[in-house]
Amino acid sequence: MRKNITFDQEDEDFFGQVGSFGVPKFDNEMHGGVPRGFTMVAFTETGSGAELFAKQFISPAEESENTLYISTNEAQPEIVRVFNKYGWPLDVNVRTIGEEYNANVLEKELLASRYRLEGFRLEDIQRLAQTRFVEDSTQDYLTEVTNEIMALGPYFRAGIDSLDFFLQRDDPGRVVAMIRMLQAHTQMYRGLLLIMVSVNGLPASVRQELSSIADMVLTFGVRTIGSDFETSMIVSKFRNAPENLKMLVFRVTPEEGITPETVERIA
Amino acid sequence: MNSGGLGELIAVQAASTYSRDRCVTGIHGLDEILRGGIPYGSTVLASGTCGSGKTTLGMEFLVRGALAGEACAHFTATEPSVKLLENIRQYAFFDMNMVDTGLINVFDMDVLYSWLGLDKSTFDLDDVHALIKSITDIVNTIGVTRLVIDSVTTLCYKIKSEQLIRDFLFTLGKKLATLGCTTILISEITSATENAHWSSFGVEEAIADGIVVMGDVERMGHLLRFLQVVKMRGTAHSRAKHAIELTPLGVMLTPMLKWGAQSDKASRWGA
Repeated sequence: MRKNITFDQEDEDFFGQVGSFGVPKFDNEMHGGVPRGFTMVAFTETGSGAELFAKQFISPAEESENTLYISTNEAQPEIVRVFNKYGWPLDVNVRTIGEEYNANVLEKELLASRYRLEGFRLEDIQRLAQTRFVEDSTQDYLTEVTNEIMALGPYFRAGIDSLDFFLQRDDPGRVVAMIRMLQAHTQMYRGLLLIMVSVNGLPASVRQELSSIADMVLTFGVRTIGSDFETSMIVSKFRNAPENLKMLVFRVTPEEGITPETVERIA
Repeated sequence: MNSGGLGELIAVQAASTYSRDRCVTGIHGLDEILRGGIPYGSTVLASGTCGSGKTTLGMEFLVRGALAGEACAHFTATEPSVKLLENIRQYAFFDMNMVDTGLINVFDMDVLYSWLGLDKSTFDLDDVHALIKSITDIVNTIGVTRLVIDSVTTLCYKIKSEQLIRDFLFTLGKKLATLGCTTILISEITSATENAHWSSFGVEEAIADGIVVMGDVERMGHLLRFLQVVKMRGTAHSRAKHAIELTPLGVMLTPMLKWGAQSDKASRWGA
């Protein structure tokens, strides 16, 4: 049975029907911004500026406690540095899964290879003799992240950069199922969810599934023109607004971050 | 008598009086069966059916060593160490202080596997070498002279090839012998009758220096525990079955009377 959620009129007025992408020029191109309840999937290429876009999308942070940024590749200091650089608010919730994974799994693996290569020291043996239980290191990050986003209230804003981490460690079918749940939650709570996923090595079937779940599909690309790089963003799906399908060439400015320069309609 | 003959006589006399240093088990009756104890550095396979007293025997072997001031180690793979220590506390010979002061070091194999990155279902050659290295490291670093692995069967289940099991046991036994550590490898068997194997994989019994079989025998409607030393390199020993009593004071071995077996057989078959 569908859960009924009542929205306060005051909140409705405050949050409006659309939310900002965090990129004013892009908001203009998309006729005001991203409709509330939208799940966006961005297929990215390395070096296309997608990581910055993910952070910039978080920056409007209408309610900081209801805003969540999940990074699987960057450490907290690096994220803080970027937010500081562009003057974006620092009071949003940030979870760095990559750092946690390094601490929980990779450090353990590193220690295991030290024990195997160099053997045990006396203090290791003493500790081993006093350790009675195996620490459970099998952390289900996918479920944790899903639960964390599902716990966000109405009008939340969340970004996952990137889904690659989960696709590499979990069954892709399970990952897609979780995204489906998140999409339903986002729609129901009029939230905004951005999911970044690297296009390289992504199975066509998973790409197809993600594209069909998403309300909006973006593709970030980079190409060389002479000795320069040109970064672009293609909006190839925008549910119920085909007029928004566009190709935008953008550059990164120190003042605004991602800044669209030229726009070409593709529909 | 020529000089060659005298030399031979002296050599024979020397050989008959030579005896290897013994690890006195301290277990009531066992040292008598072994004519003084287990030769130092031996690897003894203690094979037994479930409930035959293998774990108690292994633990008492360590406790008696600890009481003599020896450093001891116990690797438990069949039950968590917490449970093992709780179960063994009922025996008067055991004092938890021995664990607290580090005279008896109890290691959970699951923890060791986890530390070595071996939390997987099967072990390959590298894994087996890592395991041998870590066990011998522990023995060497803390100067362990008595070691029990309970059980080697559980451990070997993770080693899929028979050749690898053989290499593992042979290399481990050799290294522990070099370190002067007397080892009891506890092995689980399903039957301890005359025709049964003394080990689960068949290779353990060929590699071990000694084999002690433990099981149950039915006498007048009662199940009696027995222990029999089948093989012990480096010492003469009794090969008779001995009855085991697990008393609060520890393991007690007494000779089993032969007429009892005959009368039991007669009563069992109704003759």
